[in-house]
Amino acid sequence: MGATREIFWNTGHGAVVVMYLLALVAIGAMAQGFRLRRSIWRRGKPLDRADHPLRRFTRFLADTISQRKVARVQDGGLPHAMLFWGFLLLLDGTLLVMLQRDLLTPFFRFNLLSGDFYKVYSLVLDLAGLLALLALGVLAARRYVIRTPGLESTPADAGIHLLLLAILVTGFIVEGVRMASTELGDNPGLALWSPVGYLFASLFAGMDEHAQRAAHQALWWLHMLLAFGFIAIIPWTKLRHLATTSGNSFFEPREPKGTLPAVDFEDETRERFGASEIGDLTWKDIFDADACMACGRCQQRCPAYLTGKPLSPMKVINEIGSIAASAAENGLIDAVSRDAIWSCTTCGACEEICPASVEHVGKIIEMRRSLMLMAGEFPGDEARRACDAIEINGNPFGLSHASRCDWAKGLPVTVVDGGTEAEILYFTGCYASYDPRNRKVAESFVKLCAAAGISVATLGKAERCCGEPARKLGNEYLYRMMAESNIEAFRSAKARRIVTACPHCFNTLARDYRELGFDLPVEHHSTFIRRLVSEGRLKLNPPTFSATYHDSCYLARYQDIVDEPRLLVQAAGGTLTEMECSGKDGLCCGAGGGRILAEEKLGTPIVDERIRMARKTGASTLATACPFCLSMFEDALKRQGNTELKALDLAEIVARSIDRQ
Amino acid sequence: MNILVCIKQVPDMEDHFVPNAAGRWFDEIGLVWRMNEYDAFAVEEAVRLKESLGGEARVTALSIGPVRVVETIRKALSMGCDEGVHIDDPMATERDPWQIASMIAGFAAGRGFDLIFTGMQSEDRSSAQVGVLVAERLGIASVTGITAFEWQDGSMTVERELEGGRKCRLGLKAPALLTCQLGLNTPRYPTLPNIMKSKRAALTVLSPESVGLESPKASSENFRPHEPNAAGVILEGDAETLAAQVVSILESRTSVLGPGGVR
Repeated sequence: MGATREIFWNTGHGAVVVMYLLALVAIGAMAQGFRLRRSIWRRGKPLDRADHPLRRFTRFLADTISQRKVARVQDGGLPHAMLFWGFLLLLDGTLLVMLQRDLLTPFFRFNLLSGDFYKVYSLVLDLAGLLALLALGVLAARRYVIRTPGLESTPADAGIHLLLLAILVTGFIVEGVRMASTELGDNPGLALWSPVGYLFASLFAGMDEHAQRAAHQALWWLHMLLAFGFIAIIPWTKLRHLATTSGNSFFEPREPKGTLPAVDFEDETRERFGASEIGDLTWKDIFDADACMACGRCQQRCPAYLTGKPLSPMKVINEIGSIAASAAENGLIDAVSRDAIWSCTTCGACEEICPASVEHVGKIIEMRRSLMLMAGEFPGDEARRACDAIEINGNPFGLSHASRCDWAKGLPVTVVDGGTEAEILYFTGCYASYDPRNRKVAESFVKLCAAAGISVATLGKAERCCGEPARKLGNEYLYRMMAESNIEAFRSAKARRIVTACPHCFNTLARDYRELGFDLPVEHHSTFIRRLVSEGRLKLNPPTFSATYHDSCYLARYQDIVDEPRLLVQAAGGTLTEMECSGKDGLCCGAGGGRILAEEKLGTPIVDERIRMARKTGASTLATACPFCLSMFEDALKRQGNTELKALDLAEIVARSIDRQ
Repeated sequence: MNILVCIKQVPDMEDHFVPNAAGRWFDEIGLVWRMNEYDAFAVEEAVRLKESLGGEARVTALSIGPVRVVETIRKALSMGCDEGVHIDDPMATERDPWQIASMIAGFAAGRGFDLIFTGMQSEDRSSAQVGVLVAERLGIASVTGITAFEWQDGSMTVERELEGGRKCRLGLKAPALLTCQLGLNTPRYPTLPNIMKSKRAALTVLSPESVGLESPKASSENFRPHEPNAAGVILEGDAETLAAQVVSILESRTSVLGPGGVR
């Protein structure tokens, strides 16, 4: 006897017609559900996220089928991927049956589901079902036995677990009973190709045939109804993430990371800025809320959440979702809460880990813009004074703009007066210009440039704050003032190439200024110095020391610069030990998002958590590549009375190991 | 209700000040300018009062100086003032308080201001005279250095700080002039729509003569930048050595030990 089976065996006369009708009902219910969801998404403003559709579709397909993003965190992610792959194969198997019965058999008289192909088909589907069953077990254990912290469960979660379990179990029973009544007797060799079905079949082998057929028919209908029920409820329950989470891969931004929507200051009719009500957000912001499955990964990595501040990126997204789904017009900011909005360091850890491609940071910035530009609100008076100082003096300290380049006195730097012929223009930044600790970094940098034979110029007092902290606090107007002033200064200096030791300046000049027509090459000192070393222009004769490297968020996560700083520390004699979170998973120092200008009044200091991690490595040097991080570490180490750990910038580490021979 | 706020544009006090060519005042080259801090309290208080009264109040912001002061007038508008008046006077920094007061009083006379707010003093000249001189010339009541203000339909209660942190409360009736002191309020940060509006707002520009500029009563003769104290000397060693060092310093650098000295 050949290896095949009778499709719709024992399902009764006319069952197929009824099945297709029910399928239509299920699909109709699904379509209606998504139509309603779409009306919720459409409460947001338009935004084009469908350019380059082919590239987007490829990414969507690759992300979804590989389950890359969700499986990246194996705990929870791996069983999720297994469940997905299991059901995907089962769906494919079912579609193949449809193809066979309604296309190949009637029109081509060809039986695909036969012979060796059928054997493999049977085996694969059996194993897929088993895989899904196991994965479901692990996920249920995680949710209901281990009770993973941060994983919040609703009754709907239990319902969905039970529904999936019921679909899988009834599937196997239907298969088992059919096999008990047919293959087990007729073709036992074939039965072995369905190992799980075989096990179930042996349970029912003793039943009399009449009972077998009755049970099979009843369970076949039940299984079918459950499966169609599943399809129907997709948009009405969290199952909608089948479309929205995977779909969000399609809608991911294609702009460089951290690109914030521009504000048109030329439009004189515009009276609203930022987001204070749901209609101020884009449809994608609301769609994100539907893509979020509350897995809690963002929350577990959020520096603000981890140190007891009232911000959970996940809850921000959920709040937006519930407001969008309610009739409420405004109250967005109250629902999310000002303390949550101001607590964000824009470190991007949430977006980096999010398996659903949710963009948390942009929404928070939009709400900050509303608070700042529409109401003149700040996270604290000190931040308001800092913004005033940036506006007047060009630096957040309120120090004289004329003394901006005092640090350069007696150093091998020319201050631009007219044009410059220097190889690089060093955009010093506020901290390296004024903060005594960071001035040492500037000194080290120009000294090592001199050692490598690179001529360095600075803008001197024509340089102003790059505007980044103000922009991240929502003060787009002040940012724009600074940006335009700096761009003009670069132009009149006829600068050719800019290097900065500050990742915030770097990111702002290299990315954000682009939309204002600025197009000079900009580099961070980590990659610049690394090249000087690897090209042999800087000869190092390093002492050996133990070090750990703290990734600046705006270097690692925003600019993918992870390896170069480490190679540099090693080239300068450092033996590196990594902290528990490093690279793109690094923990913020607490100064990003304009928080450097504000006091950290809620929870415990974020920087303390990072220093705890650094100390655990046992290293003597905490290497940094950002003036904000360095300031945070210096202050905290002083406050803690810690003398074992020394925070140094890459430039300082390299400068002290230059071979003077 | 008609409110006038007098504001001055001053250099940022963190700047480096050097005498100008005449040596009578500081050179303006390289300075950055901002609204006098005390005047920001005045603007804020005026705008708060206007807001509490609803639509029936108008706040006029007035500044005297060269064209650069327009920026500060617009700042006041962006904080909520309704109208800007610029007395275009390139010589303003050289004027004495009497002259400044003569122009403000000349402008205010006959315009029926119920209240005039000014800063307690300017950060650069610090004469603290302009407010009271204006009140005197207009013949209205004035209170200097207020740290609290409460309006009750035509009359007001204000608080001012006395020496040693003591406070006193005064009641008076409009029209009146109040000079504002630190602690009165925290000036607001202008909202973007207001900044945009303030940029488009038309200002009234007047000449010093048209508002009755008078001759000065005093003139500034000489300006010297801050003279840093000589660096301190730290002596080290036992009492014997220290005493010997002190004697040698007194001998070499002073005359206290010489003829006619303490000895």
